[in-house]
Amino acid sequence: MATVAPTGSGSTIASPTTARTAPGAARRRRPRWPLALYLGPGMLGFSVFIVLPLLFSLVMSLYDWPLFGQAEFVGLENYRRMLTGDPAFWASLFTTVLFAIVYTAANLAVCLGLSYWLMSLGRRWASSFRVLFFIPVVTPMIGNALIFRLMLNDDGVVNQMLARLGISGPSWLSTPGWAMVSLVLMSLWQGIGYNIIVLGAGIAGISPSVLEASRIDGAGPILRFTRVIFPMLSPTVFFCTVMTVIGAFKVFAQPYALTEGGPANSTTTLVLLLYRNGFSYDRLGYASALAWALFVVVMLITAFQFSQQKRWVSYDS
Amino acid sequence: MTAWTAKSPHPRRRSVLGAGVVLPLASLTACGTPASPPETTLYTWISNENDRAQWEAFIAAAQEADPDFELTLEGPSFEDYWTKVKTRMSSRGTPALLTTQAARAQELSALLLPLDELAAEAGVYLGAFNAPMIAGMTVEGTVRGIPYDAEPMALFYNRAHFRDAGREVPGPTYTLDRFLDDAQALTTAERYGVALTSGLVGLGMAIGVAEGGAAVRDEELTLTDPALVDAIQFTFDLSAEHQVAAPPPAVDADPAAQQALMNGQVAMHLDGPWMYQAYADALGEDLGVAIVPSTGGEARGMLQGSGFGIASNAEDPSAAFATLSAIITPEVIGEVARTRGTFPSLAGQEERWTEGKNPDNARAITALAHDGDPLITTPSWNEVLAQFGQYAPEGFRGHRTAQDILAQVQKVGA
Repeated sequence: MATVAPTGSGSTIASPTTARTAPGAARRRRPRWPLALYLGPGMLGFSVFIVLPLLFSLVMSLYDWPLFGQAEFVGLENYRRMLTGDPAFWASLFTTVLFAIVYTAANLAVCLGLSYWLMSLGRRWASSFRVLFFIPVVTPMIGNALIFRLMLNDDGVVNQMLARLGISGPSWLSTPGWAMVSLVLMSLWQGIGYNIIVLGAGIAGISPSVLEASRIDGAGPILRFTRVIFPMLSPTVFFCTVMTVIGAFKVFAQPYALTEGGPANSTTTLVLLLYRNGFSYDRLGYASALAWALFVVVMLITAFQFSQQKRWVSYDS
Repeated sequence: MTAWTAKSPHPRRRSVLGAGVVLPLASLTACGTPASPPETTLYTWISNENDRAQWEAFIAAAQEADPDFELTLEGPSFEDYWTKVKTRMSSRGTPALLTTQAARAQELSALLLPLDELAAEAGVYLGAFNAPMIAGMTVEGTVRGIPYDAEPMALFYNRAHFRDAGREVPGPTYTLDRFLDDAQALTTAERYGVALTSGLVGLGMAIGVAEGGAAVRDEELTLTDPALVDAIQFTFDLSAEHQVAAPPPAVDADPAAQQALMNGQVAMHLDGPWMYQAYADALGEDLGVAIVPSTGGEARGMLQGSGFGIASNAEDPSAAFATLSAIITPEVIGEVARTRGTFPSLAGQEERWTEGKNPDNARAITALAHDGDPLITTPSWNEVLAQFGQYAPEGFRGHRTAQDILAQVQKVGA
């Protein structure tokens, strides 16, 4: 094939031999502008929407920064206040950690169970159920919260149904413990579809011959799950765990729309506290400090998860 | 091909490269531009068609005097307004006029220009406006907004329920004992005597003000004022102890309470005169309005009202005030009171508000407006409201006392 020489005093037709003998030179002299063109928009977006806001929020966290008016440099005061002078921070951190643990555990247990169950169904039924489970993922959270609020009111549908069974239902949204349960339930309903799809794909990737061999060896469903399927699925479970924990620490829409953080501060998560400080209480600097605290907490927990994965995640296929 | 020829594509490359960089930037910057001059643009809350109709009523009334008068409306819903007004006023090309509640004047003080000198120059006499509302709009000794209404919280009730229960409707005086007796008599298997809301500015605070209490004194938060604590405990007890009211939900209790009154599911509910027409449409002749109950039974109102101000960063405050002064004339305020039902901030226009209303109802609201205290807040009011809203459900269910909750909120908001 003929190629055009990239440089020279004029256009020359290079022989195929020439092209073969100098591949490194061709690579070195390949124009770089297409790379810049292709990377430009992405890098610009990354810089404008990720890097600059991150740096800007770090700067803001060192200021008393109102929504309107002059910002005042306060050094590390926002961090000092957060760690030693604001009980709401520790309360919301505890609430967030509690939510993350309960939600992640429940999410993975439910999703693993449902994925395993779907595996045993025929393809048509499994597909139908996957679609059903995934529908809440693509519905707007605010709409879901309104429906759940109507259902979980003191005289809502749930308590009316319980009353028909002779059970006096609790104040789901007005009692601290039950409010957290309601939050987890709604989040589960909204969120399990995604993990069911991911875990279902992981299970589908397990070689049928391996499962067949375990059956021949006499392993029942439970043994087969714990000794064969789960170990082979562990990389997928690990991925789901990491993503679910990160999502749980960032939970905002559910408490904002369902309980407004109450009763008391029982469902005030870190991001809700951050939002309120920034946009209701006029403390953008303190909100930025909270955002960095959340960032560090999530980063540490994710790093811990990665450091511990060798204890239970098997990449042997 | 020469070396230049070899490099000849560069201009095109630059163009393409430039397009790759500039186009995304251009798309980022292609945001809205100001559509009208700031001096004739009002930033206000527009939650629904009802809100828009009210603001347009001001414009229409001003155009009666000056057909060339123009005012452009801009703004989010009421709930979002208190946050977005600060960010909106921080950007370029901001409206020079904005709206504030008297209760929020402290919180928005940095955004609001002192109006005393501008009013004096324009010949607007601030002393003509409802004195408690002017006091509510005053921050650090200067008036930051000119009130167009002065709305006392009042007790709306369903006359039919009183009739059915064989109770006399409340008169010019209304004691707490009688209110509780009425609530108990009006509570049946199908309905409650009273509707409660979980917000701080509700029945409890209105009773507290009627008892001489205040949430803020000398610009300091005083939530543990004994009169206020007792009044809020009284409302907690209405649901937790006397069971004449349903404990309010933690979220969106106000619309639920309003609907309950309109649907006949409760007999009494505290609200502002701005809801008068909606309740009249739902209840017709059965709509009654009473003063806020108190131990002595005398009328003493908690006033809430709103007004117009000038943005502190307005480039031409005089021009903006010229626009503002056109929508606060007695004729405009009176006309809006007549057509939209806002209780006027000018005493001379009250008759226009009372037109077509039940005289007893009008008398009760007028009495509260004449002898009332404005709801004054602190810059941390949003935090106070959020905190109380979170803890109140426990109070209404008898799990915590008003003293306990208010002391905790006081600590956070102080």
